[in-house]
Amino acid sequence: MGIFDRTTQGHVTPAVEVTLERGAIAFFAETIGETNSVHLDAAAAQAAGHPDVLAPATYAVVVGTFAGQQATRQGQPDLLTLINGDLRVLLHGTEGYDYHGPMYAGDTVSVENEITGFTDAKGGALEIAHVTTRISHAERGLLVTATRGIIHRLG
Amino acid sequence: MTITPQSAQIGDMIPEHAFGPVTRTTLALYAGASGDHNPIHIDLDFAKRAGMDDVFAHGMLSMAQLGRLVTNFAGQSNVRHLDTRFTALTPVGATVTCTGEVKDRREENGETLLTLKLAAHINDGTQTLKGEAIVVV
Repeated sequence: MGIFDRTTQGHVTPAVEVTLERGAIAFFAETIGETNSVHLDAAAAQAAGHPDVLAPATYAVVVGTFAGQQATRQGQPDLLTLINGDLRVLLHGTEGYDYHGPMYAGDTVSVENEITGFTDAKGGALEIAHVTTRISHAERGLLVTATRGIIHRLG
Repeated sequence: MTITPQSAQIGDMIPEHAFGPVTRTTLALYAGASGDHNPIHIDLDFAKRAGMDDVFAHGMLSMAQLGRLVTNFAGQSNVRHLDTRFTALTPVGATVTCTGEVKDRREENGETLLTLKLAAHINDGTQTLKGEAIVVV
């Protein structure tokens, strides 16, 4: 038997707004070793034709995490709580992004998660939760669609 | 000659990218910078209670390196898709080397698209990520 709460299949979390912060993006960029100054410095980003610091390609996961933290502060369960994720046996299985537009410091984006389903693998030794996260901007529309497979190691 | 998106042909390897060694400090900083506070990556006591010998790196720290590999090559505004499967854990002390091979070059709706087969390996040869990117030339 698995651990995930499979009754959550099909659930879509209420949209949460997150404002991307310049310092937070630069901190993330520095931490991953990014050297392209469009991710680090507003003046450099603007000189390269961007309105502000450009979020790195995998910053979408951070926006999703920040949205979860925001949801918790607002008294809603975050995604892992919702699906009954167990950190002791949890692994990240897959992550994917379809990019529709850039995310910049100063953007306020709307984040929603859809729990698309659950599968089993390796003869029941693994169970996988499948989640799609959509990050949208009020004027620029859908910016990133992220898909994620979250694994429990069972037994 | 360095491969560019313009010159890339099927079978070409794009310029590789290495990151590391991954230290405990790296993991502490990544936890803070990413908001992923899962203690399995930063708290040895928690990791041991969970049956692990040690903490291990966030998979997304390595995927961030795949992101750097692809954006260094194609420019971020040209990246349409990036995905990965996490195929093995990355231990503390590992250096992550990311590679990309041009699997396809095609014209679609007036654009030239490249499909890149991506991989990350650590020092002992273990493949830790297996991914794909689609970029516009």
